[in-house]
Amino acid sequence: MGNPSVLIGCGSAYANDRLGPAFDLARSARVRYLGFDCLAERTLALAQLRKLQNPQAGQDERIDDLVPLVAEFTAAGGRIVGNFGAANPRAAVDQFAAGLRAVGRTGVRIAMIEGDDVLNQVRQEDLELPELQTTVGSLGDRLVSAHAYIGAEPIVEALEADADLVVGGRLADPSLFVGPICHELGWALDDWELLGQATLVGHLLECGVHSTGGNFEDPPYRTVPDPHNLAFPFAAVDATGATVTKLPGTGGAVNLATTRTQLYYEIHDPRRYLTPDVTADFLNVRIEETGPDMVHVSGAQGSRRPDTLKVLVGVDMGWKGVGEASFAGPGCLDRARRADEIIRRRLESWSEEFDDLRIDLQGWNSLFGDQYRPADEPAEVRLRLAVRSRNLAAVRAAVYEAEYLYFGPAGGGGVVTSVTPMIAVTPAYLPRERVSTNVEVTVS
Amino acid sequence: MKLREIAYARSGDKGDTSNICVFVYDPAHYNLLLERITPQVVADAFGPLVLGDVTRYEIPAHHGLNLVLTQALGGGVSLTLRADPHGKSFQSLILDIDV
Repeated sequence: MGNPSVLIGCGSAYANDRLGPAFDLARSARVRYLGFDCLAERTLALAQLRKLQNPQAGQDERIDDLVPLVAEFTAAGGRIVGNFGAANPRAAVDQFAAGLRAVGRTGVRIAMIEGDDVLNQVRQEDLELPELQTTVGSLGDRLVSAHAYIGAEPIVEALEADADLVVGGRLADPSLFVGPICHELGWALDDWELLGQATLVGHLLECGVHSTGGNFEDPPYRTVPDPHNLAFPFAAVDATGATVTKLPGTGGAVNLATTRTQLYYEIHDPRRYLTPDVTADFLNVRIEETGPDMVHVSGAQGSRRPDTLKVLVGVDMGWKGVGEASFAGPGCLDRARRADEIIRRRLESWSEEFDDLRIDLQGWNSLFGDQYRPADEPAEVRLRLAVRSRNLAAVRAAVYEAEYLYFGPAGGGGVVTSVTPMIAVTPAYLPRERVSTNVEVTVS
Repeated sequence: MKLREIAYARSGDKGDTSNICVFVYDPAHYNLLLERITPQVVADAFGPLVLGDVTRYEIPAHHGLNLVLTQALGGGVSLTLRADPHGKSFQSLILDIDV
């Protein structure tokens, strides 16, 4: 390839993603950079709760398990960017540094990016919360967290400071890849067309197996080989586009269909995919199959980045309760519907307390196995009650009603219940100039 | 014929909004997709699951559509009480539409 290029792969797509494919890619010598997305919408609010209970907590919970990967990959010249910090970037950096020293890997330069925690700014501005149709001010002490999506700028700054490992909080998913691409290829952060291309690559890599055969099969219409052994994708990127592929010997597929479904995954207007870095236009992206499990993508466009940064605001909504019980055999659906009526009647006195309550009916073969398959009614029905309220007693009362189905219509059983804190996250938009980031380098 | 016989789809979430992208296997079916999978048809298929609007973006380069459904997830992943908070399954409801 005549043009300068960079090799970059995915190490994680969310907080509980499997680590095997990341180790495989790190040890393959096929990539120079790995981007780790560790955060889904709700992850940060839950991490803030852990931090409230313990000031040393709130970071990604896989850091100790990732230390060997970081030690090996950086020793071989590789560099890693991830939002491992979640609610506590400093604790994440400390944990990486201590872990690396413990395995004898000193001298690793770890950059911490701070500034995504915008709780103070959000309070001062009394931001609107469009999905809740209220403002931050009305939440009072129910406001748990506020994190702005941070773009590639501080990532590039960290890589320019020779960081081997870049650790941030709410670094935006595609930016984890846009940063290294722009740093390595010398792309200016206001060259909107190139940023559109880099964001295309980031979008195809950030969701991990979503580009290699995950969330894809629908037999008999669509299957992939060895779906038990999916790989994370990686790409060779240059100014003309990118070649996306996966390691040989792994399962899944990289082709036109897998790439298309990921290209428009979690995007609204294809001409206006908003990130902290750019307004990307994916409408006319070209995808060519250039080899086995290999595609070349090009043609993304870009225009000026948004003036506001998206913020996810965490709100304490009280408690969520779920209770389930099963009915099986002849008349199971009628008995489950009867149970639904009984529960609703019994909970009437609490109805004012519930912000939401629903009862649904599920099921296939969990009670009698596949041998029992009646023709004209379900083999079984599992009643699932779900409720949310700021009143814990009300939630408990509702959940107990699932348990009392042992004594409801005949044959109710297999009760499972849970009550968990309910932290909602809801979007808000903060003027970009109200968010400032800081990069600090530590050496292990 | 069900849409599933000629097309594939994937659904995703952002807040309380679901998007479902749909592509036909054979480009010859793109016009059929445009003709049959209208916002109204999609809204009817989802019924009370979707309280907001259905917006349809055409993606001719990929013989596909991106359908954006607002107020579609019972409040969004973190607030909804539905069994499938993300609406991951929505792709299959789209593919069940008669074309």
